[in-house]
Amino acid sequence: MRIAIAEDSGLFRSSLALLLRSLGAEVTVSVASGTELLTAVRDNPPDVVMLDIRMPPTFSDEGIRTAQAIRGLHPDTGILVLSTYAETSYASQLLETVRSGVGYLLKDNVTDADALMESLERVAAGETVIDPAIVRRLLGRKRKPSVMDTLNEREVAVLRHMAEGRSNLGIAKELYLSARTVETHVTNVFTKLGLTPSDTENNRVRAVLAFLRSAGPQQ
Amino acid sequence: MRATIPSLALPGNSPWRDSAARGREGTRWPARLAIWHARRPWLAATAVLIAVAGFCALVQGPQWRSFLPLATVNLAVSLLFVFTGLMLGREPGQRVTAWALMLAGVFRSIDFIDAWHGPWSAYTLVFGGVDRIFGAWALLRYPNSALSPLYRRYLITFAVWMLTGRTLIAVTSTAQWNAAWSASWWPTLIPDQQLSNLLNYVVHSGEGVGGLVLMALLIIRLKQARGLDRIVITPIIVAGIAAVVAAIASAAMMTLSLADTPNEAYLTESVVDFAIPVAFLIAVLQRLLLIRNVTELTAQVTAGGDLDAVRRALRSVLHDPTLDLLDTSDASLQALGSHSPGRLVSYIRAGHGTPIAVVIADPVLARYRELFDAATAASGLALQNAQLQARMAQEKLEQVKASRARIVEAELAERRRLERDLHDGVQQHLLGITAGLTAAKARTADPEAAAAIGQAGEGLKAVLAQLRDLAHGIHPAILSQGGLDAALEEVAERLPLPVSVHAPPRRFDAAVEATLYFVACEALANVVKHADAESASVTVRDGESTLEMEVADDGIGGLAAAAGNGRASHGLANMADRVGALDGEIVIDSPPGRGTRLVVRVPCA
Repeated sequence: MRIAIAEDSGLFRSSLALLLRSLGAEVTVSVASGTELLTAVRDNPPDVVMLDIRMPPTFSDEGIRTAQAIRGLHPDTGILVLSTYAETSYASQLLETVRSGVGYLLKDNVTDADALMESLERVAAGETVIDPAIVRRLLGRKRKPSVMDTLNEREVAVLRHMAEGRSNLGIAKELYLSARTVETHVTNVFTKLGLTPSDTENNRVRAVLAFLRSAGPQQ
Repeated sequence: MRATIPSLALPGNSPWRDSAARGREGTRWPARLAIWHARRPWLAATAVLIAVAGFCALVQGPQWRSFLPLATVNLAVSLLFVFTGLMLGREPGQRVTAWALMLAGVFRSIDFIDAWHGPWSAYTLVFGGVDRIFGAWALLRYPNSALSPLYRRYLITFAVWMLTGRTLIAVTSTAQWNAAWSASWWPTLIPDQQLSNLLNYVVHSGEGVGGLVLMALLIIRLKQARGLDRIVITPIIVAGIAAVVAAIASAAMMTLSLADTPNEAYLTESVVDFAIPVAFLIAVLQRLLLIRNVTELTAQVTAGGDLDAVRRALRSVLHDPTLDLLDTSDASLQALGSHSPGRLVSYIRAGHGTPIAVVIADPVLARYRELFDAATAASGLALQNAQLQARMAQEKLEQVKASRARIVEAELAERRRLERDLHDGVQQHLLGITAGLTAAKARTADPEAAAAIGQAGEGLKAVLAQLRDLAHGIHPAILSQGGLDAALEEVAERLPLPVSVHAPPRRFDAAVEATLYFVACEALANVVKHADAESASVTVRDGESTLEMEVADDGIGGLAAAAGNGRASHGLANMADRVGALDGEIVIDSPPGRGTRLVVRVPCA
């Protein structure tokens, strides 16, 4: 797998490159800012770009804006945004604009090499990945009554795994259910959230967004 | 135009008096006298007094031999009347009164011209009361600048009665009947003793009634007088009443032959007559003293003269409890000025500039213009002084506010810098080490080494979590990066009760965001700890000039049942401090059992 890295902290960047190479990935680009990344991948897009959310020059949301630019230029390149913060608002901002093949991962979780590789592979495959820590926080949050409350326990579990970017098969394996049962739950979730069951892939994203929105800034 | 009478003892010339003195007099001789008078006041007065003394001594002629005490008293009374008239002439609007006094004084001595016998006895019979007419005139006029129609009618009636009546007595009598020296010339036309006696009785009774009417008029005047007028005229009215009583008594004594000689009755009357000029002199001195009080006023109000203090001082110095002093910034001022018919309205100006206040006073004070002007000028100084002091205090307050705002800014900047340093420095380094450890773990085949590296990684992860909490406590990155709405959302997510957040998705001044964020955290922490609430809400409303944030809960209220302990009130004071630094305010509404509502308003550009 070919990976490009944009990360302003030199030590973290080189350690990450070392880790990725150790895990058998090829690090094609390793730069310190979003603009450098855009220049570096213009002619030779990698399978996945990994980028820090907070980078020069403003140290605010360069990562998200760079991700949007890359998605516009290279629709097939997976994007994995790294953050120090478990902020749901960044996660939903990212997913609102870059709808698939995208992930939001906390930097702390680079301690889990397997999880890191799995996330890279999933975004490369066009799936959506959200850090389990963020999902946990969303689920842990007390909300005012919403459409989410109509989901039963099993459906919430399925939606949570969906939000973490797992496929139906993956969910089935995690929950020890048959693929068919998972499929039924997924359809129920879509129906309850008011999504038409035809466009399965887009619905997965929409369901996740509805999930994020139920916790994110209320309009 | 210097041909006006300058004040004797008053500072400066009042323009009001100038205009009163101008125009009317032209170059008539009293005006010429006045000019002379003005240049050498004491010399002129002395000359007038010497001339009057000579004349009065002369007209009494033989009396100096026949009854020296009366002649002396008459001369002294006449001179005192004239002297008082000269003094009074310097007061605005009192020229006519002054002339009346001086004429009363001179005619008092002329009354005794009958001592010369010859035709003068008849003169004294007919014109012997003219001094009283002039005296009554002065008593009724002072301190006004004109006679009221009632008083004028009274004086004319009295004069006509007296002169006509006495003339009739003269033409119906002879010198003998009138106890005059038999050799005197007498204008006898129809000698008829019975008629003459009747007329004598009727005319003199009428004069007595006229005296009683004058007393009544004077008493009414005193009763109706207000403020300064009352103070000034009281001695005059008292003296006037005494003189009338003395005159009536003297007449009665002569008619009823109670006195040994008529001259003794005259002497008593003359001694009482001293009271009138003395009373007028007291009035003149009183006015001078009142003006001196203005100096006191200046001392009183310049110390710390706010509008109320100056108003009180003006009321006391000008003896007008109805006086009002208003700030010209008062919007109702125009209305007040035009709704004060018959009131004396005067503007107090700062130097020659714009009016800073307006005085609305009893119109009586128009007669004490130099006093009024001096008092309002002193008030103007006091008010200006107060304004300057207030401005200085305001400037100082602004400085304190600005420095407080700077301290808040500096603290905020420092917190942000610390947070950034932690995030970009230590945190990234530790993350780098974590990634390096993970790489090492991936490369080692030794399971024990892998386990040790894994353990170190987990330890680092715990350190990172602590570090992140620390950085968040110093300054939440989400606030600088995502703004108030995102930061409030993030706070809401961490709380164990549903909190709905409504905030405009825009950025505000960093200090405003930080302050509102801090207040929301404090308030929500209180909700969690004390309110026993089912849910809470945070609402930020973006107004035109103020930003408002409301933190409400559905808990037990009563300021979370008087969360009472020191910590809660300390938190509240802390919130108030922070909001105060932005020139904002906090309002807390916490009725028992009906939740708590905290509203913060801060100004925003």
